[in-house]
Amino acid sequence: MTASVLAAGVVEETVRAFFQGLPIGAGFALVAMSFVLTYKTSGVFNLAFGAQAFISAATYFELHVRRDWPIWSAVLVAVVLVAPALGLLLERLVFRHVHAASAVAKLVISLGLMVALPELFKLIVDYNREQPFGAVGIIPDGTTVYRLFGRYPVTRDEIAAFVIVVAAAVALAALFRYTRFGLRIRAVVQSPRMTELNGVNADWVSSGSWMLSSFFAGLAGVLLVPTTSSLGTVLEPQGYFPIVISALAAAALGRLVNLPAALFGGLALGIVTTQMRTHVPRDNVILAELQGPALPYVMLFAIIVFWPAIRRQVAGADPLLGVSPPPPALAATSRSRGMTIYTRIMALAFFTAVGIWTFGYANNFWISRITHSVIFSIIFLSIVVFTGLGGQIALCQVTFAAIGAFGAMQFAQRWDISVIVGMVAGAAIAAAVGAVLSIPVMRLGGIWLAIATLAFALFFHDVLVKYSWVGGSLFHGRGVPRPEFFGVDFSSRENFLILCVAILVLVGVLIILIRESSTGMALRALRGSETAAESIGVVSWRSRVIVFSVSAAIAAIGGGLLAMEERLVGYESNYDPQTGLFWLVIVVVLGARTVEGGVQAGVAFVIFPELVLDRWLGLHGAWRYVLFGFAAISFARHPEGLLEHGKRRSQALMQRAFGRRQPAMAAAGAGEPADSGTETGGEP
Amino acid sequence: MSLLAADGITKRFAGITAVDDVHIALDAGERVGLIGPNGAGKTTLFNCLLGLLRPDAGSVSFDGEDITRLPVYRRARLGIGRTFQRVELFSGSSVRDHLLFAHRIRRGTGALWKDLLGLGLPKPVEIERCDALLDSLGLGGMGDEPIEALSLGQSRLVEVARALMTQPRVVLLDEPSSGLDRAETNALADTLARIQAEQGFGLLLVEHDVELVASFTERTYVLDFGRLITHGSTADVMQDPEVRSAYLGDFAAGPS
Repeated sequence: MTASVLAAGVVEETVRAFFQGLPIGAGFALVAMSFVLTYKTSGVFNLAFGAQAFISAATYFELHVRRDWPIWSAVLVAVVLVAPALGLLLERLVFRHVHAASAVAKLVISLGLMVALPELFKLIVDYNREQPFGAVGIIPDGTTVYRLFGRYPVTRDEIAAFVIVVAAAVALAALFRYTRFGLRIRAVVQSPRMTELNGVNADWVSSGSWMLSSFFAGLAGVLLVPTTSSLGTVLEPQGYFPIVISALAAAALGRLVNLPAALFGGLALGIVTTQMRTHVPRDNVILAELQGPALPYVMLFAIIVFWPAIRRQVAGADPLLGVSPPPPALAATSRSRGMTIYTRIMALAFFTAVGIWTFGYANNFWISRITHSVIFSIIFLSIVVFTGLGGQIALCQVTFAAIGAFGAMQFAQRWDISVIVGMVAGAAIAAAVGAVLSIPVMRLGGIWLAIATLAFALFFHDVLVKYSWVGGSLFHGRGVPRPEFFGVDFSSRENFLILCVAILVLVGVLIILIRESSTGMALRALRGSETAAESIGVVSWRSRVIVFSVSAAIAAIGGGLLAMEERLVGYESNYDPQTGLFWLVIVVVLGARTVEGGVQAGVAFVIFPELVLDRWLGLHGAWRYVLFGFAAISFARHPEGLLEHGKRRSQALMQRAFGRRQPAMAAAGAGEPADSGTETGGEP
Repeated sequence: MSLLAADGITKRFAGITAVDDVHIALDAGERVGLIGPNGAGKTTLFNCLLGLLRPDAGSVSFDGEDITRLPVYRRARLGIGRTFQRVELFSGSSVRDHLLFAHRIRRGTGALWKDLLGLGLPKPVEIERCDALLDSLGLGGMGDEPIEALSLGQSRLVEVARALMTQPRVVLLDEPSSGLDRAETNALADTLARIQAEQGFGLLLVEHDVELVASFTERTYVLDFGRLITHGSTADVMQDPEVRSAYLGDFAAGPS
């Protein structure tokens, strides 16, 4: 008797969780399908999707809640006008010009847009997120509750979300299968150049598909407001990010190209989430976390690593990609001797001047800023190793930096070990974590590696950091000391700056040594052609492990120094995974291929908003996100970085002006590259 | 005992038997051709020899050692070099870099700690060796050129040079004539023949340019529809009616 009552209770709970999960899943499915749509139609792995959704939702909120427009007109403007217009703008101004670029270049651009768009919107519209608002959906009286089968509660919002999502799925499937537009979209995705050779205007097809996918983003934006309001205020600029990442897991099920898989994956993810919330016991910390926000990240990581379709997927290459000119040689390898000497003298003079000013005249504020720039330069050198040397994109350097910071803190506070030893130990731990992480993602390339590492970073952020053996107690992460060794006390600002500069120089020299030696040779070979590299005996997994652990160790050293400089770990302000995305953007924009590029990015990250934006131009600090975010667009054209590009041009100009003969390398590398991942070789 | 031998290699893709119970063998210092019309299974067999594909049945041995399950890089380190049908060079690197990479990796001197201590930088003697090989291939003075500045014929020579820097005992050439005109093909064949005579490595030439195979190789294997239809001295094979019909049939049906 009691057993059957119990069983009936379990059944009821399961069914209830099913109906609760369906609308959540519908939200995921809508985002996942839009993701697939964008990827299918433009080859862009659009992490800016959340930003597009946010802009529509915020527009809707502005019009309906703050200006009392009726729902229909606010939706009309936000979803039917603003969203496609934004899509058209993005396509016309950005993605049209990069459609032949590699998937990784497009990913970087979308990261830049993800950072830039919401900030720009806020600066233009004077959007005030502090304003309280009710979670107002687009359905009148959306919170009205109905009971399915007289028992299971669902709201009107939830029913509407589900119906709209299913209708959208059917419409999309029909579009791709039965219309000329759908056929052309598919052709353009494969090879825009090839499609144009067949007489189709690829640009128009591309515009149309971007407007369509942006419309879906807008729809998702306004639809998700009530569904996710329980997770917190969605109308934050980056509030859509967790939902986008969750939906990614669903989209990954279909390798980003299969719409039905995205639909069912999204629904399944929603249902699994609520089922776990209902049935899995909460007494175990890990199990409890898995019911919360961590589940999508774990699933995303697992799907990328274990889903055979993804493991087998080779980055689709445009058959006509080979017609693009190759990336140019670095400026430093193509300059004449006179130029080299001139450059070195100028650099020496510059650093001497900065040194004299810093130690003679600068106040505490500027010394601290300069120390910060040096430390961020070290952290950014880890991106130089991974992206510049290794030729891959990882989005978890922020996690390694955090590990270094926590390492220094834990060793100093718990065991009273010298903080510098703690920093080194933290670097060793980060290197080990990096090596372990590199194993499951070994065979992944391009965007999948980027997403897998992002999932790892988010998992660390949402789960691991809460453990006391990782993050300590976050609110007591204060009191990180500055080091003292060999009888020198580095606790004063000036001395600590000298220590940081010494470490930066050391790390920079080591990176150059690696780049020019056997390890660097193997990496350059692998980046050029993995098949050819293996044919001469390069062990690709070994190189991968080295890149992961060396770059993790460098980031961790930077993190340790940052903790000493700030005398606390400051996890929330320094090591948020989204901050890490901005790190990547700023480094690749300025130049990820050289040590100089990393240092310039570090200086720009810290000094630029203070000096140029605030003091000279009197602009809000958020403009840095807008400027560098949009500058990411240049990555497709100049994968070597803007500063490197500028350097090469000014160098060529000067050499011409002084009548120097141009070396052969410079002449051959002078062509403007259109993309980064070009296969080499002569004409086919 | 042969240096490189494939015994009973069979490879199926989704129900199609691409290579069916094929035996081939290659001795040190020998020049052997592998020909067949398009779709005969040449590339599949080639990839099985190199370790890019794992055969469904059969084994590959090198110098008496079973290497069927070894990954590509291990075979490369044993002394199997190769070139590519569609040129695979390291974009962004100079011509000399290609040779230097191959030389370094072959010697296995890639320890990270050595690099960090500055012991891993290119030494003058290594650069000399690279330039000497470039000279003998007719690429003298091109060491600093970016690889993108080369013609297709030169690119193929760089591939050969890269393979030779690993000091291979066998070199597998994958359709070296594709994309080259007759004069370029002949020049490439002459250079290869000279270097091969000097260094004495075994050479397996996978080709569908029958003329090149006829002039260049001592023995030839002929594949059609995945099966070995004949083999023997190149002169005999070229007279074989079955070989002629395989090629004529291919010609009549048009390129597949």
